[in-house]
Amino acid sequence: MDDLNVKNPPALKQFIPTPPRPPRQSKSGIFGTIRQRCFNSIGNSVLTLCVVAVLFYLVKHVLDWAVFNAVFIADNRRQCMDISPDGACWAGVISWFNGLIYGRFPVDEQWRVNVGVLLGLVWLLPLMSKRIPLRNVILLSWIGLYPFVGAYLFLGGRFGAELGWIHGVMTCLALAFLTIIYVNWILSALGKKGLNELFVPLVSRFVERRIHLLSFVAVWLLIALVMALVLNQVSLEPVAIERWGGLFLTFIIASFAITMAIPIGVVLALGRRSKLPVIHWLSMTVIELVRSVPLITVLFMAVTLLPIFLPADVEFNKLAQVLVAVCIFAGAYMAENIRGGLQAIPKGQYEAAATLGLGYLHTMALIILPQALRMMIPNIMTSFISLLKDTTLVSIIGLFDIMLMARNIANDKDWVGMHTEPLVMISVLFFLFCYSMSQYSLTLEKRLKVDR
Amino acid sequence: MMTSSGHLATKNTTNTAIKIDKLNKWYGDHHVLKDVSLDISEGEIMVVCGPSGSGKSTLIRSLNHLEDYQEGVVSVFGQPLSRDRQSHKIIHQTMGMVFQNFNLFPHLTVLQNCTLGLTWLRKMSERDADKMAMRLLDRVGIAQLATRYPGQLSGGQQQRVAISRSLAMEPKIMLFDEPTSALDPEMVKEVLDVMIDLAKTGMTMVCVTHEMQFAKQVADRVVFMADGEIIEVGPPEQVLVNPQWDRTKEFLQHVL
Ligand SMILES: Nc1ncnc2c1ncn2[C@@H]1O[C@H](COP(=O)(O)OP(=O)(O)OP(=O)(O)O)[C@@H](O)[C@H]1O
Ligand SMILES: [Mg+2]
Repeated sequence: MDDLNVKNPPALKQFIPTPPRPPRQSKSGIFGTIRQRCFNSIGNSVLTLCVVAVLFYLVKHVLDWAVFNAVFIADNRRQCMDISPDGACWAGVISWFNGLIYGRFPVDEQWRVNVGVLLGLVWLLPLMSKRIPLRNVILLSWIGLYPFVGAYLFLGGRFGAELGWIHGVMTCLALAFLTIIYVNWILSALGKKGLNELFVPLVSRFVERRIHLLSFVAVWLLIALVMALVLNQVSLEPVAIERWGGLFLTFIIASFAITMAIPIGVVLALGRRSKLPVIHWLSMTVIELVRSVPLITVLFMAVTLLPIFLPADVEFNKLAQVLVAVCIFAGAYMAENIRGGLQAIPKGQYEAAATLGLGYLHTMALIILPQALRMMIPNIMTSFISLLKDTTLVSIIGLFDIMLMARNIANDKDWVGMHTEPLVMISVLFFLFCYSMSQYSLTLEKRLKVDR
Repeated sequence: MMTSSGHLATKNTTNTAIKIDKLNKWYGDHHVLKDVSLDISEGEIMVVCGPSGSGKSTLIRSLNHLEDYQEGVVSVFGQPLSRDRQSHKIIHQTMGMVFQNFNLFPHLTVLQNCTLGLTWLRKMSERDADKMAMRLLDRVGIAQLATRYPGQLSGGQQQRVAISRSLAMEPKIMLFDEPTSALDPEMVKEVLDVMIDLAKTGMTMVCVTHEMQFAKQVADRVVFMADGEIIEVGPPEQVLVNPQWDRTKEFLQHVL
């Protein structure tokens, strides 16, 4: 490098960068764009006109059937036919709407379903905000604690009696946690310290390490105690699991499967890569077996075979069996997704982690899995969407989910033979859910890509 | 960048930091390390050079067990290493490594890359870890980039982060495997400057590098390897200016 030095450099020209210039903007507006894109040649114009004509024809017929000729108020199918023979008979769907959503859940208790679902969503709401710290903890708390609150609301009974006192304690802890999340959110918006810091001065008198954690635990337990005293006065009408149904049941199964799919998938995927032969072969067998049979078979096996393996006095309800089956099914598919992500992580990441001294669990949990899961978000979301749709299969083994409720409408003596409308309605509902899931996955992807 | 007290640090050459004794390694039938023996003293700056495929990476990666070897013993501060937990602990407590292609964790910020080991392994509080990491980042001149992600940095900046990340674990020995080979010429200097500063603090360093200028400037000894063997060891004036073997001369003609 040094030998490039020249004794007497000639006078250098000075470099002045060309000033930047804004990009050219199209001024033609929306009509100009349409003309440019759709009518820029004779062939293209003809094609555009044809497509418009077909679209018009289709949309008109659909709208005629679904809206203009449809009957919204009627007592039974006969009346519908009399009013408008070639329109949809939404009156039937409307009169069964409650059943489609809640199944056979007692009408007077349905507010509990609403409250339960709402609580679950409210719990997850902070995840949407980037400013909230420890969002992973919130997600974990949802997975670990929310089911207790949900189960209590949906099953009912006297608090702590029917479901046992452990369940009662967990419910109180869960509600206390949720309270802390939200109070902290409000406090931090006001610029104040979080609720969990309340006992820091007190705790720091007794111990020196983990002051903040202990203070948090103290506040948590205190609120839980208050919750327990309040809830102790409450007694909800018990509702048997057999009466759960409709979209509500579909949601329960799907969200259970979706939340369990990732942990099960991670365990199976890591197991499959394990160097220990027993673990490797076990994981591989589970993955390959489950992946090579249809979900229906897995469901049937769960309902008929599982009780055989279990001791006779263990009473296992159908829903629990189905949940186990769907979880294993979802986990096996997820395992392959995650394995794909793991394979894409370069060896250097493992080596860097190893030279820092991170062990297997730390390396996986902090370095490898976060990257692998991020990389696989589109695939994982696709699995989730098909999982949501697959859950409708549980109607075949006699759970009253939204599908079975819909088919029941056609057996109602007032609405005999009405198949189409409920199915259309379910399609629309599912489209809304699935489409929002895929949109969410897109935003998630974009948000995480910003990090790189 | 670094305090001037580093200049005055006297090198204590009595202690052996790493002792490599008759190391042999095969990839299948391919004999890549042949009876390699070498002593590295505490505080010594050792530069390893040699043609491509001569086994430099294999040697340096054998030291911290990223690579398995079939025969021979490596001792660190008098402790012979084996494959057990105890040896792993010694390795992680004493050695840090910097790679050719940085290997930063892309999903963590620069600061998080540096504090990861401190908070999870040392169980340091977040505040203390941040403080320590910021001091190191300041030392390599990129404190202002602490909240960026590795993908938003230039190669030279990434490599400096990688060096800080290793230093955060307070190693006694730093291993460098071609730290500047993946960098554009303009960025090589900023990384070498950091390494030169580090050398002045009395850190024991083993560097695989083709930067002969760096070797001449800071190396205490230079090792020349070819075909899995150490051919020459000695002070840079001797090996680089006045080599004893034709193989070394040939290589130097290519590099210099
Ligand atoms: N995973 C592997 N499997 C088989 N052979 C390997 C493997 N890794 C390295 N080798 C061989 O071992 C020899 C030494 O490789 P090594 O990477 O140590 O060379 P190097 O001196 O670092 O070269 P470079 O300067 O190109 O990095 C080479 O001949 C290479 O082909
Ligand atoms: Mg190499």
